[in-house]
Amino acid sequence: MAITTDPVAINHWIACGWPGKVPVGGYWDTVLLGQNIRVSRPQPDIYEAAILTAGALGRRLPVQSRFCCIFTTLGQDPRPLPQIDEFDEPDRRLINCGSVGVNTSPYRMIENFLDMAHFPFVHTNILGAEKKTEVVSHKIEHRKDVDEIWATDCRFFQPAASKAATGGQMTDYTYRVMSPFSIMLYKNVHNDPGRNDAICMFVQPKGEAQCLAYMPMALVDDVNTTAAIIDFQQTIFLQDRVILENQRPALMPLAPAAEIPTKADVGSVTFRRWLKQMGISFGIYEKAAA
Amino acid sequence: MQINDQVEADRWVGVALDSQIQSASSHPVILNGRELALWRGESGPARVWDDRCPHRGMRLSFGFVRGNTLRCLYHGWTYGENGHCEAIPAHPDLAPPKTICASTHGTAAKYGIIWVNLSATRAAHVPDLPNQPGWLPVRSVHLRASAPQVLDGIAEFDYGEPARTSMPAQNACVVVLGSDTQLFFALQPIGLDKTGLHVVVNESGEPQIPRRQRLARQVARLRDTIEAGGGGVWPSPRTL
Amino acid sequence: MALKLYDYSLSGSCYKVRLLLAFLKLDYAREQVDFYPGRAHKSLDFLELNPLGQIPVLEDGDLRLRDAQAILCYLADKYDKSGQWLPRDPDLFGTVMMWLMFAGGEIMAASAARLHDSLGYDLDIAAARQKAHAAFRILDDHLTLRAIESTRWIAGDHPTIADVACFPYVALSGDGGIGHEDYPALRNWMRAFRRLPRFHAMSGIPEFV
Repeated sequence: MAITTDPVAINHWIACGWPGKVPVGGYWDTVLLGQNIRVSRPQPDIYEAAILTAGALGRRLPVQSRFCCIFTTLGQDPRPLPQIDEFDEPDRRLINCGSVGVNTSPYRMIENFLDMAHFPFVHTNILGAEKKTEVVSHKIEHRKDVDEIWATDCRFFQPAASKAATGGQMTDYTYRVMSPFSIMLYKNVHNDPGRNDAICMFVQPKGEAQCLAYMPMALVDDVNTTAAIIDFQQTIFLQDRVILENQRPALMPLAPAAEIPTKADVGSVTFRRWLKQMGISFGIYEKAAA
Repeated sequence: MQINDQVEADRWVGVALDSQIQSASSHPVILNGRELALWRGESGPARVWDDRCPHRGMRLSFGFVRGNTLRCLYHGWTYGENGHCEAIPAHPDLAPPKTICASTHGTAAKYGIIWVNLSATRAAHVPDLPNQPGWLPVRSVHLRASAPQVLDGIAEFDYGEPARTSMPAQNACVVVLGSDTQLFFALQPIGLDKTGLHVVVNESGEPQIPRRQRLARQVARLRDTIEAGGGGVWPSPRTL
Repeated sequence: MALKLYDYSLSGSCYKVRLLLAFLKLDYAREQVDFYPGRAHKSLDFLELNPLGQIPVLEDGDLRLRDAQAILCYLADKYDKSGQWLPRDPDLFGTVMMWLMFAGGEIMAASAARLHDSLGYDLDIAAARQKAHAAFRILDDHLTLRAIESTRWIAGDHPTIADVACFPYVALSGDGGIGHEDYPALRNWMRAFRRLPRFHAMSGIPEFV
């Protein structure tokens, strides 16, 4: 796998590990945008990363430890990591679900995370039900000041919206696409509608269609065990994974006629337009057009 | 943009046994590297479409059948037998525009085999066999060998008695054993080193269950022999 | 009676047990094990329950059992008075046991491929996939012969614990990059299994049939 030459893809902070993956005093080798790297951990709270070429360590890479993940970048001028205040609130439970491999383009993963219309069919009787499939109109905007895509006023009927939920309810969502490789959602806390759970997905693109997904969460939940919360989140994500690995092509098509959107897909349409405008080519189907 | 824009030859290729494509089911089939969905409604003939939903590219072979419609697993988009989208669950009140349509292909059932023609013209005919009726399914196998290797393997196989091999068409082979037993092999080129083989039998006196099971075992043996590079011995069907 | 299952939703082995518990209409308590990322099945607490460090574990009163296949045998023997799921006819019993061992043996290569692809387990993925394909071919050959007899199930005329034990990792194999294109008889068997009354899906196996 060769390193990408796409300058747009390179200039991001990208998740490249989580603490459990890197033993203290040890390392783990992984791949970032086609580049082999080594993430090491000389001290419990100190992580380092470097380019790995034919088994030999090369250029040191900058590292940030944030949102239960380890981030690095291959670029000289990376876009800063997003601000997610919930991870700093003292009463939050920060839960890390490890990483899950998914063989598809990173953007297919982001787009799926942003999509509500699949809930009844993919997350049946959990996040959606076959008898209530309608996606009501919601607001999508490209916030130019932060260069993020926000979807607000999203509402969907959910039979069992979270580990804490009992019985069906309309659930409010806000989605926030923070970069081509990261997305999060805010979702009503079950017993405290004034607050939102924050659930993130950071994608590590190893290659154009080989990714790892990291799903750290900052939750308000004093009822459920960590095992039960992780089990719920992984159940949802592994339901998505079947879909993600069976979309064709795996790379994201950006030509308008390649796939047919409807009104429920405004998030997808805005996201794809945003990718096109930034001129990213890594993981994109139409190499010539990008 | 067309995802599948290669020009396909005007040719019918067997891709499955009709008996194995049960009502209300959808199956993945690969033909020359091209992914196809082979499905049958609760009634009626099997159909072959490109294995992608026009909405988000999800493979339709993962879909589910309700009535005589195929529904995509991802968002439940519902396609009628002509390929047109009939319903989009995210918008229950919307009549989907006629432009939303799955890519459909010519499909036929003959000799107990399902045939596909990926070309737009479809002037060619399904290969003609001497005995039209009376074909019964034996089984399908999938081999790690190229289609020419499989054809060679069928012809070179030691059937334990005189065998006459003929090729009524490209990717189709008839082996006559003795005076009475005809085996028909339809080849499905999957990739450069992978081939599907769909086998039916015709002989006087309808073969009973143990006889068909015996033939199915022998086809598995033929498969294993071809994969091993030849040399297997097929016990004479007369002695089965 | 107090049945308790040490369970992980994504485990195909635990799913075998959940399926039979559902088919037998048995209530049970679930104790969720943080298999990944927590590796709780290797913790000292869990090793006291099962020194092999594997899930599932089933408790029934004072009895504690490990190994999905053993648990299936126990549940069917104790709670299925009809004898459908574990036939007592010697020929059928032997056949069911044979495929049960196959489910806990050869088919587990498909589980290994899935752990590699989804949870990043470090193993020889090409070898795992090749072994899984070899196992699938054996089961597909068997079910092809069964289908000629107009029988859908692995042994006898009804689904048995052999079907329950073989189903999960065959159905989940796509998660490990092992497709079902080459196995028409497996596909028809899986669909028949998914249409059984009281069947329920799990992540990786679509709800809609």
